[in-house]
Amino acid sequence: MNKKKTLAVSLAAVMALTTAACSSSKPEGSAAPAPSGGGNAANKKFTVSMMSFAFGNLPPADGRGVKMINEKFNIDYKPTLVVQSDYIQKLSATIASGEVPDITVMEGADANFYKWAKQGAFLPLNDYIEKYPSFKLIPKDVLKAFTVNGKIYAIPRYYPINYQLTAMIRTDWLENLGLKMPTNYEELKQVALAFTKNDPDKNGKNDTYGIAMAQNINPNYAMGAYWDFTAWYHKNKDGQLIPGSISDAQKEKVAWMADLYKQGAITQDFAVMNWAQTNKEFYSGKAGIFIGTPRGMSEPYMQSLVEAVPNAKLAPVPPFVAPDGTQGFASTSGAYGMTMFSAKLAKEPEKIDRIMEMMDFGRKYYKPEEMNKSNPDFDWFKGNEGTGYKIVNGNIASEPAEKGLSPALYYPDGIAWAPNDEANGYSKTYSTPLLVNVAQQFEKLHKETKHYFNPVNSVFSETKQSKDSDLNKMLYDEQTKMIVGQRPLSDWDKMVKDYMDKGGAQIIKEVNDAMKEAGVEGRWKEPGQ
Amino acid sequence: MRDKSIGNLVLDTVNYILLALIAAAMLFPFLYVFSVSFSSYKDFLQSDILLVPKTWVMDAYRFILSSPAFPRSLLVTVYVTILGTVVNLFFTSTFAYVLSRPVIGQRVMLFLVLFTMLFSAGMIPTYLVVKETGLLNTIWALILPVAIAPFNLIVMRQFFMGIPSEMNEAARIDGATELQTFWKIILPLSKPALAAFGLFYAVGHWNNYFSAILYLNDPAKWTVQVILRQIVIVNEPTSTLAGGAALMENAPPAETIQMAAILLSILPIILVYPFLQKHFAKGVMLGSVKG
Repeated sequence: MNKKKTLAVSLAAVMALTTAACSSSKPEGSAAPAPSGGGNAANKKFTVSMMSFAFGNLPPADGRGVKMINEKFNIDYKPTLVVQSDYIQKLSATIASGEVPDITVMEGADANFYKWAKQGAFLPLNDYIEKYPSFKLIPKDVLKAFTVNGKIYAIPRYYPINYQLTAMIRTDWLENLGLKMPTNYEELKQVALAFTKNDPDKNGKNDTYGIAMAQNINPNYAMGAYWDFTAWYHKNKDGQLIPGSISDAQKEKVAWMADLYKQGAITQDFAVMNWAQTNKEFYSGKAGIFIGTPRGMSEPYMQSLVEAVPNAKLAPVPPFVAPDGTQGFASTSGAYGMTMFSAKLAKEPEKIDRIMEMMDFGRKYYKPEEMNKSNPDFDWFKGNEGTGYKIVNGNIASEPAEKGLSPALYYPDGIAWAPNDEANGYSKTYSTPLLVNVAQQFEKLHKETKHYFNPVNSVFSETKQSKDSDLNKMLYDEQTKMIVGQRPLSDWDKMVKDYMDKGGAQIIKEVNDAMKEAGVEGRWKEPGQ
Repeated sequence: MRDKSIGNLVLDTVNYILLALIAAAMLFPFLYVFSVSFSSYKDFLQSDILLVPKTWVMDAYRFILSSPAFPRSLLVTVYVTILGTVVNLFFTSTFAYVLSRPVIGQRVMLFLVLFTMLFSAGMIPTYLVVKETGLLNTIWALILPVAIAPFNLIVMRQFFMGIPSEMNEAARIDGATELQTFWKIILPLSKPALAAFGLFYAVGHWNNYFSAILYLNDPAKWTVQVILRQIVIVNEPTSTLAGGAALMENAPPAETIQMAAILLSILPIILVYPFLQKHFAKGVMLGSVKG
């Protein structure tokens, strides 16, 4: 009895102590990082902090690239690069501590972004968009995704808007079996089955199959926006757009996949295979159908395919004509990565100008033939030919990141905003001939194909932000079960109802309301747009 | 009699076979990591599973060791582990000794220790403390916030209490001060405990990555676990909008390189294990029986 009392009393005392400590330290914390402003001259040196995520090896905090940036823009640049896998936690801790970096980079507009934007952590950028050439190029539809209550809070980082990941096929196998490029799902099924059963590599062994797939039904082999899991294309009976993941078209595709799976024409362990393992299935010459795109294909993977099958040939599969007569892929969100600026900068307009100038510089577009030392800006950005990069067979080979030799390594956003997808000339950046060839074919295909503007990418829904990933996971899991035959396809309506009840209905309502409010709707874009 | 021994023999054989199978299951991942790390990427891609490399190549190791990042991070980790363990042992043993002696306020001190076992601060409050104490971006941020593990402290106190108090009295009669008693009598008697806890702490420091990611901004100060994580784990991007893009472009390094990195980062601590194993086993029983 007595013991309990002492415990309670001392507990209370400890609580009181900690709360007191907390409340007394707060004002100190928020007052501390106030910068000493008040300088007047245009050549005043500003300290600029930046926080971003990165993959692979990271450059040192004081590399040559930082010094080059400091000299050029007369700033004291303090970049902090964090491993991508744990970036959000570190960013949360930093922002919660009251020190929003001058420049903050995130992967996408997630719930944290909207929370911080609403709390006033970031600088509204509406006035700056028109001032800088690389900001002006951003399409209005793309900017809408980064707008909260009419204020633009982030500069999106470029991603080609039409270069979706789409199906790619081994044409040498097609030729070996005397088959044509498939033009609908039925023909694709026949091809996948022939790849599985008819020994397409002519080695006399039953060691090949049709379609490579990874967990979460990835890639989802949408041969057009009509079948796209992520595109909001179909409408329900109330005229609202719904996500592709619960559409009837997806149901048909799941049935199609289930049939192929049963006959061994889809990666048998796909439900537990990660992306790297699935790449291995295709690039070792085991599977005949996978996905590709002009930008960001892996050179080592392609080399391993060339080594395994020296006469391999690849081609993209053109989009199929959908039951509603449309033919074309869904476009991407047109951005990967985004840059925000601290709201505290509002007090220092000169510093904002300096930062924006630097930011704009990194996003400058160069024609492929200018990407060498003939263009001094490009040469500077990549760390000077012979030091930061070399030209090997006409391609740029950058020095390893951990040497920290070029400014590009430290930029919050170092990706050029190209006037259109094709202008990037991605196919010219590869060196493996097979890869160059297939990337060119993809470029041509996308140039000649219509793309569906996916309206969900331009709007924000609170419920979608908080529940979408869990709900999608649920849909992936249930549909995976249907493909492998653990759950009958007749349960589809039950699954959709489950989705609706768990928040899907609210997401659909919010997204449709937001689209109406922002004035965006799904539409087909003409080829090349 | 004879029947029984045949029964025993059968039982033993079955036991050994079972245990051997279990041991093989434990060893298999290591063997796999080992073999893949010495294989060429092409061999890895072409075969379903590799138990012995088809051709022995050192490419993966050459790649990892060609950049200064990995060896440097190993050195940093060794440094943090040694320094951290010394700090841990110093604070834990001194505090535990005080708590094992009849001193005033002992109950309050003990309560405060127990309190942190039940209620610990979250990531952000801890971050704020580290930041306000000026430890951010120094390796002390990996050492001081975890200088004492309450559980280890209590077990060590238990161990000290097991040493007969007559020892202290004898030392006192011979003219030793409290400090001398602790340093010359108690600590030498506690070698097994120190070794065991030293190993617990060292393994903890060695495997720790999250505080390094959270508190250190300069890649030059990163520990090996951070680099390893960067090499082996690439999360699915948080945004599904352009998720596919990130998956394509930021594919993790080849598996052979991943496996080589894993092997290099566990090697030092594995080499230490056999020498401390006996203390480890003893340490498990610490405080379980009062002498």
